Amino acid sequence: MKPGRHKVQSMIRTFKLYGTLIGFLAIIIFFAIQLPDTFLSARNLINISQQISMLAVVAFSMTLVMVMNDFDLSVGSMASLAGVVAAVLFSMGYPIYIGIGAALLVGVLGGLFNGILVSFFGILPFVATLGTLTMFSGMAFLTSGGKTIFGRDIPSAFSGFARSGIQLETFGFAGLKIPYLTLVAVSVLAIIWFVLEQTVFGRRLYAIGGNYEAARLAGLKVKTLRLTAFVLTGLGAAVGGLMYASRVASANPTQGSGLMLDAIAAVFLGMTMSEEGEPRVIYTLVGVLILGILDNGLTQMSVDSYVREILVGAIVISAVAFSSLSKQVR
Amino acid sequence: MFNFKSMTGLMAGAVMSIAASNAPVMAQEITVITPYLAQPGTQMFIEGFKAEATNMGWTPNVIDTAGDIAAVISRIEDAVTKQVDAIVINVDPAQIEAGLAVAKEAGIPVIGMDSGTSPLLVSNITSNGYAMAAETSVYVANRIEGKGKVVMFVFDAFPPVQIRGVVADAIFGNFPDIEVIDRVTPDVSDGGIADSRAKMEAILAANPEAGSIAAVWAAWDQPALGALQAIEDAGRGGEGIVIVGIDANPQARDAIAAGGNFEASVAQDFVGIGKMTAGVVARAIKGETIKESVIYVPTVLITSANVGQ
Amino acid sequence: MHGLSIRNVSKSFAGAKALSSVDLDLIPGEVHALMGENGAGKSTLIKILAGVQSADSLEVLKDGKPITLATSADAHNAGFRFIHQELNIVPHLSVAENISLGIPYPLKFGIAIDWRALENRATDALARLGVDHINVRQKAAQLSTGDRMLTKIASSLVSSGDDSAEFYVLDEPTASLSGDESEKLFQVIAELKKSGMAILYVSHRMNEVMSICDRVSVLRDGEKVFTAPIADTNRDDIIFAMTGRTIGEAYPARAKPHGTQIACAAKAASTAHVKELNFELRSGEILGIAGLANAGQSEILRAIMGLTPIISGRLDVLGKLAPTSPTQAWRRKISYVPRERRSEGLMLQRNVRDNVVLPHLDVISHLKIFANQQAEIAKTQELSDAVRLKSDSQKQPVYQLSGGNQQKVVFARAIGANPSLLLLDEPTRGVDIGAKFDIYKLVRQLSEDGCAIILTSSDLPEILGMCDRILILQDGTQSDIISAKDLKPAQLLAQFYETRAA
Repeated sequence: MKPGRHKVQSMIRTFKLYGTLIGFLAIIIFFAIQLPDTFLSARNLINISQQISMLAVVAFSMTLVMVMNDFDLSVGSMASLAGVVAAVLFSMGYPIYIGIGAALLVGVLGGLFNGILVSFFGILPFVATLGTLTMFSGMAFLTSGGKTIFGRDIPSAFSGFARSGIQLETFGFAGLKIPYLTLVAVSVLAIIWFVLEQTVFGRRLYAIGGNYEAARLAGLKVKTLRLTAFVLTGLGAAVGGLMYASRVASANPTQGSGLMLDAIAAVFLGMTMSEEGEPRVIYTLVGVLILGILDNGLTQMSVDSYVREILVGAIVISAVAFSSLSKQVR
Repeated sequence: MFNFKSMTGLMAGAVMSIAASNAPVMAQEITVITPYLAQPGTQMFIEGFKAEATNMGWTPNVIDTAGDIAAVISRIEDAVTKQVDAIVINVDPAQIEAGLAVAKEAGIPVIGMDSGTSPLLVSNITSNGYAMAAETSVYVANRIEGKGKVVMFVFDAFPPVQIRGVVADAIFGNFPDIEVIDRVTPDVSDGGIADSRAKMEAILAANPEAGSIAAVWAAWDQPALGALQAIEDAGRGGEGIVIVGIDANPQARDAIAAGGNFEASVAQDFVGIGKMTAGVVARAIKGETIKESVIYVPTVLITSANVGQ
Repeated sequence: MHGLSIRNVSKSFAGAKALSSVDLDLIPGEVHALMGENGAGKSTLIKILAGVQSADSLEVLKDGKPITLATSADAHNAGFRFIHQELNIVPHLSVAENISLGIPYPLKFGIAIDWRALENRATDALARLGVDHINVRQKAAQLSTGDRMLTKIASSLVSSGDDSAEFYVLDEPTASLSGDESEKLFQVIAELKKSGMAILYVSHRMNEVMSICDRVSVLRDGEKVFTAPIADTNRDDIIFAMTGRTIGEAYPARAKPHGTQIACAAKAASTAHVKELNFELRSGEILGIAGLANAGQSEILRAIMGLTPIISGRLDVLGKLAPTSPTQAWRRKISYVPRERRSEGLMLQRNVRDNVVLPHLDVISHLKIFANQQAEIAKTQELSDAVRLKSDSQKQPVYQLSGGNQQKVVFARAIGANPSLLLLDEPTRGVDIGAKFDIYKLVRQLSEDGCAIILTSSDLPEILGMCDRILILQDGTQSDIISAKDLKPAQLLAQFYETRAA
């Protein structure tokens, strides 16, 4: 390509890369103007960080498989299952660490099962995880007996986790705290960012996404890599499910189901920001923030919830449409 | 050319005009939060609530979280941030204690509309679920003269429906000749009729003799309607299988009026619950102490005798 | 005059001239070759003719009357038909359906598809091309690449109405075809010529141009630098016009004899598709594998790479039994340049660096776990320099590179392993002449440094110019190994057809 051709193209590219970011900033500015007293207050920002933390963890984990052009549709029901498994063990009198450990193990096993179906049986991820979505959901119903487990069955230390955090009084912010849920999400972000961007494993996942066959012929252990990524995604979904269960101090076999579509939407939003349309976990964070901030701000502006849904959908579509339009122009 | 900025602006404009039209004219800001707005009962609560709210000059903001319970907590936090005057919820309070605690701390009253009892709520306005379930199960027990096989449709994941099952279990258990052959939890993602129908078809197939099933007791109307379809399509409408539901929704009322197997349901006064809730909200805002932790709104057993009224 | 005259085509992209004042004539019954290195402007010219790219200036006269080519519909109505390398064939539809894809199917009673008429239409169209070996009822997926192309050409003939085909533009049609398939295509081109079509034939392959074309035009840096009837020119003139170099420099001669150590040895080795391989490859030696298309050339490389199991006999590679996976193969310093650059070799959306370091990530990492970006940058730089890669930066996505530079990226990756055995499957396919020169130099250099090389190619001069010995395959069986010394292309070709001694 000749250097001179770049002028117009680089402009389009700038728009393509920063369009979503500009939109994101526009949303923030809009709310800051509309809700001058509350939106940018420290408390509200902390609220937002806590409100999005569960979705964030699931979306970050989803990024791991979407980097390989795969999907995991089962994350929502895995989140429900993990919550239910922990809650059932709590109700049977097991200590908290057993409940959490078992829930995480279920996440790993579920992810392993997805990974085996996808990489060793070669079933399309969409189909395989659509199947396991139903399976995990059924298991969640079976484990819980279809009931919501709540009240005395849930140890207060477990539900208290979602309500507490690191007090900021010592730093001069009386009454404020950084919620533990936010800290969990930040840690998961840091771990996944490191894994994807700074390790050989992560770089190889990107290679698989770039061209599966080329990666295989270049000697990568593509099956094992793909399997491992699905395991990590399952684990992340279980973490998200536990956070959710802690937040609602209960577990119900359907409570995580809303997470899956939002997580995919967040990754897609993020993908519009990267140069060649590959998912990056930092951009996924922006996607999650867009969804979370819209919910928070529009609620405060008393916007009808159906209108809110339409807006969220419209924003996802327009970001993706804009990014693919600018791709065509090049 | 297509431009993201201008589009964002456009959307922002749209939001603003919506916000403007919804902007409260009075000082009182009331936020209603429910994960279940898609359900007809909830819509009627809201209808009743809004009617009464309009009389009082409020414009309540109704938020649906589409089944997401954690989002209810988030939206309570947002309403607290906004410092509304009162919050109305339509979800089990035990699951949203994190949000209720924040509201309590901020001194904002939260009123339950058919939700559940909790010390963090000012009060919960509801129908007496135990009483409703007792009415329909006793109706069934009497109609089948205390004997025969009964199929139950229940949904234990949702506490207000779960208690109905408990009462029915107790009443049927009190009749030695009544046998509950199946306690089905239908998939409710599409409303419950289709899956209940499929489940009932399977049960009918497993019990092929005429008269082998005496009654179908459903904890709400949709499974009862599904069972009715299954029974009629299997050509077993003439066996005298007694079907009862709860809620008496319009479809159920039509079925009862038609005089077929669907014989009875209990009408909750949804609109009345909504209105009563608005009344309680008004009292709470005034600073009145409300000592009843639960306030019942009367229900009516609907049969062919009174369905036309 | 009769035919199509294209005058004064110019096109700039943001100031850079892609085409400047190019003239071209398409004369009925004539095959006009369009040649030039990648980036010379061929693709731009074709896109302008197809109406998918606007020109800064353009005059088109059809039979002396001016016409416009502003949209692809204009181009279609003007009688243009484009046959690309990437054939948009629907694999799970029948050949007959594919041939009628763009036009209404014949119907019975106005609703039901008249299958017989549909099949007859397809058979007729193929017959007009002199093709009778394709069963129009079979699924297009079962066709070879060559037959797919013939199907596509047949499809362009059946377009109904008065917008009938007059000008064919074939863009590197033989790039993915075997010798046999190419021969069939040439017959079809001859048929098209006979029926009065004008053909613009874009190719890098000198032999084809010399044998099937009537006229040749050469583009260089957006200008038409040369045009002549084939009869009045020769290979050297054309190559010189394209590159400014002569062909004598193409294949660098071996400067020293190859080693004696055995790098790869096959004893009656067979896989599912090739049988009874017997050869010994020494360090530094270049072994060519040649034969008619799909005689098993790729299969041998895939077996050495651990992609296809050896089912009988024995195959030793670098002192051990053949690897059982590509992972093992790379670890044992076997490097591989696969046949399909785009689908098997490159991550097209990813940048140069990601593509080059792909198999070497753990070698240049900290503790085999943590990626080491500095080392990756250094390694990429070193390898890119070694293969003379031309790119804007290491961060440039490879889809933006020319075919030749893309292939250099694959080569950079392969030599990055410091290989003892290098497997090259059609390494110069779709690569322009300049890049070819670079690749030949590189291969020769590697061989002189002691790397054993196995090379498959359907380009006979390439095999003869580069290899020490040539393993001949006939239909999946090794028929002979011969020395390439003093061998003539015709003699080699004869070997492909000779019946094997019983």
